[in-house]
Parts: sequence; structure tokens; C-alpha cells
Amino acid sequence: MVRVRLGLGALVLGCACYSGAGGQGDGGDDGSEGGSDAGDTGEPICGDPDAVFPGRAPLRRLTRFEYNNTVRDLLGDDTLPANAFPSEEIGNGFGNDADAQSVSSLLAEQYAAVAEDVANRATISTTALSALTPCAGEIVDTTDPATEEACVRTFVEGFAMRAYRRPLEPGEADALVELQQAIRAESTFPVSLAAVIEAVLQSADFLYRVEHGVVDDAGRRRPNGYEMATRLSYFLWGTMPDDELFAAAGSGELVTDEGVLAQASRMLDDERARPVVRHFFDNLLPISGLSQLERDPVRYPTYTAAIGALMRQETQTFLEREIFEGPGTWSAILTAPYSYMNGPLAQYYGITGVEGDEFQKVDLDTTQRLGLLLQAGVVAGTIHSNETNPVVRGSFLVQKMMCNVIPLPTGDVLAEVKPPDPDSGATARERYSQHSSDPACTPCHQLMDPVGLALENYDPVGLWRDTENGVTIDASGSVPGTNTTVDGPVELVTAIAGAPQTHACFARNWSNFAYGRTLDANDDCTLAHIEQAFVDSEYDVRSLLLELTQTDAFLYLPEGEG
Amino acid sequence: MKKLRLSRRAVLRGAGGIAIALPWLEIMGSGREANAADPAQRFVTVYTPGGSVIDNGAGENRWRPTGTETEFTLSSILAPLEAIKHKLLVVDGLSMYSAVGEQHQAGIIAWLTGTTQNNYAQGPSIDQVIATRISSENAMKSLQMAVRWGTGKSHGLLHPINAANYEDNATFDPIPPRLDPQAMFDDLFGTLDPNNADDAIARIARKKSILDFVDRRYVTLSQQLGSYDRQKLEQHLTKIRELENALDEMVVPTATCHLPEYVDTSDYNPTTGLESADDGTIVDTSTDEAIPKVGKFMIDMLVMALVCDITRVASLQWSDTEAKHTFPWLGLSEHHHFYQHDGNFRPTECEQIAVWYSQQHAYLLQEMDAVDMGGHTLLDESVVFFGSELAQPPTHSKDNMPFLLAGGGGGLRGGRFLRHADLADRSHNNLLVAILNLFGDERTTFGDPAYCTGPLAGLT
Repeated sequence: MVRVRLGLGALVLGCACYSGAGGQGDGGDDGSEGGSDAGDTGEPICGDPDAVFPGRAPLRRLTRFEYNNTVRDLLGDDTLPANAFPSEEIGNGFGNDADAQSVSSLLAEQYAAVAEDVANRATISTTALSALTPCAGEIVDTTDPATEEACVRTFVEGFAMRAYRRPLEPGEADALVELQQAIRAESTFPVSLAAVIEAVLQSADFLYRVEHGVVDDAGRRRPNGYEMATRLSYFLWGTMPDDELFAAAGSGELVTDEGVLAQASRMLDDERARPVVRHFFDNLLPISGLSQLERDPVRYPTYTAAIGALMRQETQTFLEREIFEGPGTWSAILTAPYSYMNGPLAQYYGITGVEGDEFQKVDLDTTQRLGLLLQAGVVAGTIHSNETNPVVRGSFLVQKMMCNVIPLPTGDVLAEVKPPDPDSGATARERYSQHSSDPACTPCHQLMDPVGLALENYDPVGLWRDTENGVTIDASGSVPGTNTTVDGPVELVTAIAGAPQTHACFARNWSNFAYGRTLDANDDCTLAHIEQAFVDSEYDVRSLLLELTQTDAFLYLPEGEG
Repeated sequence: MKKLRLSRRAVLRGAGGIAIALPWLEIMGSGREANAADPAQRFVTVYTPGGSVIDNGAGENRWRPTGTETEFTLSSILAPLEAIKHKLLVVDGLSMYSAVGEQHQAGIIAWLTGTTQNNYAQGPSIDQVIATRISSENAMKSLQMAVRWGTGKSHGLLHPINAANYEDNATFDPIPPRLDPQAMFDDLFGTLDPNNADDAIARIARKKSILDFVDRRYVTLSQQLGSYDRQKLEQHLTKIRELENALDEMVVPTATCHLPEYVDTSDYNPTTGLESADDGTIVDTSTDEAIPKVGKFMIDMLVMALVCDITRVASLQWSDTEAKHTFPWLGLSEHHHFYQHDGNFRPTECEQIAVWYSQQHAYLLQEMDAVDMGGHTLLDESVVFFGSELAQPPTHSKDNMPFLLAGGGGGLRGGRFLRHADLADRSHNNLLVAILNLFGDERTTFGDPAYCTGPLAGLT
């Protein structure tokens, strides 16, 4: 039995102002509710073959991203209707944190309104009705009621099963047919069928991922086949299971670890895995708002919103090619000497010889750029004005890429916090010098500013600069927790890529996203498993995604009350 | 562009996106006179980002009026409110001591909750407590709307940096505001296709059948789950029941309750910067330019939602605390946060922005004061609370908060300038509990009790 050392994941860096408040993440790490006691009674012994530590498994609701994908696959509705729903809470940062999914009046109202719209579109024509189920397109005024009811039943049984992602329980189809009949008495056939769709799309069975679980031979609680198919499909595809997953669920294939892995491998090889990976990085990196960055056109004449959109596309294209077609390791992604650009973007960077609108592989000047984190969009996306802010830039790398928690200033320190006067120095280093001289600031800012200051060679629109206001930029810095000093951005990201903490953090971020939670102390075994596997695979991203389906957290459920 | 079809039979619809048509009904005004002893009937909050100009760098407070409680001159920032000054209560000198946490986040959280930040709020906001009290039977328990919201790093999520309203339930969940003026118009005041106008009763019945089915399914399923998950579904069910209730609370036109004037806002993208799943092709050049038009449209809808009694509690947010949008109509090409402190404190530009917000607030109050509710105006039976997450932008100071009350609800007396600078108990939690008292809620403390010494005196 191996006792795994735990707790590498999230590190709270000590600084005087530490208050214990994490800042933006939502709560919900109360391990006392709804789940396993593992971890509460002391350090779990991970790797014990007789014990599992799945952590908590709170009820998860479809996010806007997942709802859009699901109605596309369920009904062919590709109008992205869930964009009308209000924003998710911040939670784990990916919008899918099960502990941060309260239902506002507006959301319930929009669930109803969107369901009505989707149902309308699904029943609007004979063609649409036929697509639901062939007989539905053949119902006319003179169809006899028995034929019509038989058709309704056929539709309901198929549709509700797919919408609920499980076989129907006795009576469930009857209840839906009853609903249809009641509406039919007062309205047309299409309107009555729409009512069924409308009701199903508002049901908890559709909106939530309910997991009752089954107890296996060893007395452990696992998701049943359909629940596992659903776990797999939402994790890797962000949508409902396809026919093959449903078949695997029904055949019992998904009650073994190997069966789960086989399906995960198939799914990861499928095109449908790509939008999820893109969605993950859109939330992890500061790139989703690039097409809406506002910059002074006088100071930054070559930057436009269209360039911002291309920057985002550069990062997305790079990640997709690397992960699905390239070497695919996180360390290679962080240190790649190339990127992907089209003609207009290359011209923006000042790179010649790239023509056309297609994105193509471009070698970088590695004295100025290296890897993901120095792409223009990533260094511009953290900046919200016409001046760079080394604190925000540094904070992004330290907190999001290395999972170091830097507490927010509070109490007496808070009262003293004041952004620097932009006229107080020619360079950011001068303007932010109080952070390194004032004892009230230093304890925390020494953990962020040296990282951000090493990125000062990039201006607020992501372009390289040697000087600021005529003064040569000093881009020296350091990486907290590593005792590494660096000179300039390339050395900085090389050091970050070499830090074990960076890779543990990436694994933790993926775990939070995959499991739809903010992992807590009850998940130490899962995290230890994932971090070790990631190291063993030499930081292979695809292997990491597969490994996430092989943990206690994915394969098991906590002891339940219900 | 949206083509709006109206008919004389068109009517307003309640919450739930359910449009119905009913025959035109004559006004059934209560004819009730406002009485100082009556509790307030409506509550409106208006949030503006980044405080005001409490110190312009030369020691001048550009917000504070001069003079005595009843004989005072409005400052340059408040001057646009001159015409409605007699119904305005300027509340000066309060501090938001309960705003403990990140500077902007803790400010917007504490503003209406009086609680310190723990991610989000640790208690309900007063608007929700008031809504529970006076608006539970209305089609909408409360209405939250926001202009140019979610402008910065919150990118698409309901974040403590942009959430002002918190549920009056066990978990004080943050409430997302409505952002899309077109959807708002449809959801609040949408009309039926005149061809379908006659089957309103059938449509309501259909909606009821569907919601009844959904309701039963939540009940059944929640009983099969553990307590934590059950609580989630029960919370969801509460909201479904609000929709069911709304079907019984249909709104009918009267002499004062009518459709607000429709405004085309196709040049305004309410989710600019918000939709993290967008593919980056949105190129937004006109949204900021459209803010004044959209703001006015939202105010018109807010006022009409109160007049029609769709709800009795409404909140308007002018942006979020980041305020990362520009003011092209004022000739200001940087975003508001830049003028507050990102680009050093620019008191002249901040004042320009604050003056503009005062103009918009004056419009809201005057519109409310123009509605006759039967011998008194809508404003007379309301309480309107105008505030921000901080007082002075460059320092994030939360002393001398630029708070305004307006209206006559609960006996609130306007036309006055209250200074609390010299009082020991100037925590703004005291103001929150005093506002609750105007609605007949007799509690003596609100929010974090460590920051509340009792109701603020002098409102009535």
C-alpha cells in the first residue's frame, strides 16, 4: 500500500495580507453535504484497491454551451437558443460548477421561453414533424385518433428516452402522452406535440444530470451505464450521448473501467471533441473578449477588433493543431517555437511571407515569442486599457497557469491600495515601484509583479516593444515558488514551462472542468492520480483527458443518501 | 430588425414569456390617496459605477450640495436633478463599512446587502427582502435590468464584480439582470399575433398544463435525491411556481398602463464581451454609442412595469463595477474605469460622466412623477435608492457615499439634504434598515450586525 503525498495542487502563497478568502471562486467545498466522508476523517490512503475516494458528485445542470449542443443533437436545432439564458455564476471559472448553479427567476422564465421557441421550430412544418418521427408528418385532419395516438406514443418513447438520456420508467411515457392528449383536445396536432417537447425541455431529467448509481459486486457505488454514457458525452463532447454510447450503455460495456476508456478513446478521436477543448481554453485563457478589446486607435493604429478576433483564432488554431494533430504535450505547447497565422495577422505582427486568409504554421523569432503564453492575444487579453498592467498580467500566469492563490487585499492594507499614477514614471516598472518598496504591498505583489514585469515587452495590443516612452524596458523578473530569476518573456515562459507546479495546475484545471466542481480536500486521491499520470505521460494532453475518465471521481459515486 | 405588430387587443404579458390577449378593460384605479402613514408601495434601485467626485484633487467635493437641510443648492454633479429636487433626499456622509473584500466587488455586494464578501454576498439584498414583502403576488417578484453589463474580466459569467442583487433565500444567490432590451420588451410587454388573439384562454391553459407536468416531475424527482441535490431542485421548483403564479396575474391595460414606446436597438449588442462561446466574429463599434438610447428605453420599461403592477421592485444597473465601456456621446473615448483610476484619476471626465448619470436619474424620477396613480404620483408611493460601490474612484474610498433617495413612499420626505458626517453611527447598514422600515418591515438591524447600530434617523 502506497501512501501518496498529497496537496501539490493549489498552493496558497503566503503573504501578509492573506485572509483566507479565495477571491472569485464560488463556495461549495463544504464536504459535509451530499457525499463521501473520505478525507474528513484524516488523510485518505490513495491507491488502496479496496477503497475508492470519488469525492462529491453534486447534481449538475447543463450549461449554456451544453444546452445549445444538446438541442442541436436532439432536435437538429442549431440556433444556439441557450445564449438567451443569463450568465452562469463564476464558480470554478468554467461556468459548470455544480455548486454555483442557482436558478434565478429569469433563468426559469428563459427555460420556458426557449423551450417554447425550440418546440415551435421542431413542429413548424410537415418536414419538421417528419424529422421528429416519420409518422408525425403524415397526420392530417382526417387521421383516425388511434393512429394519431400510436404515432404520439412512438414519438414520446423515442424522444423522451434520448432527452432524458436513459430508458423511461414505467408510466413516464403515459404521463407525456396524457399531456399531449389534454392539449390536443384544445388545439392542433403540431401544437400538442410541441407541448410534449416544451415540457421535456423544462424537466429536471433533461436539464440536470441525475445519477442514481448502482452498487457493484464490491459494494462500491458507480454511475449506471446510461449515467456513465452521459458523463462521457458531456465531458468529451459537451453534449448528449450518440447512438453508439447509448448502445454501450445498454450493453453493460460501461460498467468496467476498460469499457469506459474504450469509449473515451473513440470519442477523443472524433471531431466532436474539439469544441469542448476550445471551450475549455476559451474559459481558461483571456481570449474570449479579444474581438471587443477597446484600444486607442491613435496610439495603436494597426490594432482593430478584427485583429483581436484573429488573435483569438491564432490561439485556438494553435491549441487545436497541437493537441489533436501535433506533439500534444503541455510543455511543448508552452514552448513551441512556432504558431499559426494568416496573412493579415502575420502582417500585424510584422512577419513577412505569409499570405492569404488561411491560417498556416509560422516559425517565431524565439528571442521575442515562444509558446502559447506569449501569443499576442494572451498578453493583450489581460489588459483592459491603453496602458499595460503588470499586476493583472502576472496574476493571470501565477493564479490561472500555476494555481497559486494570491489573496485579495483586505482590512488595513485595502485602505492603502491605490492604483499608480500613470504619470509617475516612463515605464510600468517605475509606475509600480511602490509595490516593491512599500512593506504594505510587497508581501503579495512580489508574487505577481515580477512575473508581469517580465512581459513588459508586449504593449497593450500584444505587439513587441523595446522601449516605453523612450526608455528601454527592463524585463527582468522572477517566477514565484521556483527561485528562478529571468530576463525577459522568453526566459519567463521557459521557466514556467519547467515548473512542476505549472503542470499540476493544468491537471487541476482540467479536473475542475471535467468534474464540474471546484475540487477540494476530498479529491486529493483523484488529484494525486491525475497529476502523477500527467507526469508519467510527459504532459500529454490527450492522455490527460483519457486519464480523467479513469479516476475514482469519474468511475464512482460517493455513498448516497437517496 | 424586429417588426412589432400591435393591435388594439394586444396586451401586456406577464412573466414566463407568456403572451395573452384579453379584451380591453377599463381602468380600475384604486383612487387611493397617498398617506404618510402607509408603507411604501414600490422600490427601485439604481446603480452607477465608480462613485462620484467626492474630492477632485483640489479638495473640492463636486457632489455634495451646499446649505442646510431644507435650504440647499445642488452641486454641479447633482444640478440636473433640480426639477425634481423637492422629492429628492440627499443622504450624505455615510460609510459602507460592511464592504469588506475586493475593492469593487465588496462595494457592490455590500451596497444593498450590508454584508461582507465571501465570494458573493452573505445575506439577501434589501430589494429582495422588500420584494418578498410586497411583490410576491405580482407577475414578477422583481425585475433586474442592466445596461452595458459584464464589460471586463467577468467575460460571460455572473461574477461578484457585477452582481448587485441577492436572493432572499437560504443561499443568497446572485441574481442575473436582464440585458437585452428587445427580449425585455417582449417578455414584459410582448403582444400576440392578432390572428391568435382569440385563443388566449387556450394558450394559458396549455401553459398551465405544461408547467403542471414539469412541477410534478420536479417534486417526484427531488424526493429520490439526497438532501443537497434535493434542495437544488426545490429551489428550481420555487421559480417554476413563480411562473405558474404569473399565469394567474395577468396584466391589463389601463389609462396609465400601456405599451412603452418601442425603440429599435439593433445597433446595440447586449452581450458584447459576454458570450464566451462566440467565435470572435462580432465586431462591435456601435454598442457604446447606443447606450443613451438603450438606457432611456430601459427606464421607460421599468416605469411601465411598475405602473402596470407587473412587479413592485425593480433594479437598474448602469454597467458593472468594471465599467469598461466608452462614452462616445460625451466625447470620451476611454472607458470609465480608465478615468476613475486606470489612467490616473481624471476628475473632469469623471464629473462629466457623473453629471450624465444624474441627467438619466432625473429622467427616471420625472417619469415616475408624471404617472397619476389616483391622486398621487407613482414616485409619491415609491422609494428610489441611487448608489454606487464606492465614493471616490482613485482611492476606492467608501466614506461619504454619494447616496440619493427619492420618492414619498412610507412617509419619506424629500426636498432635503441630510448630512451624517458628524454622527458616530454612519454605517450605511443603518440606511438599509431605515429603508426597510419605510416598507413596514420593523426590524432594527440589517446585514452584518457588526456594522449596524439601528435605523438611520431622519428619512421621514
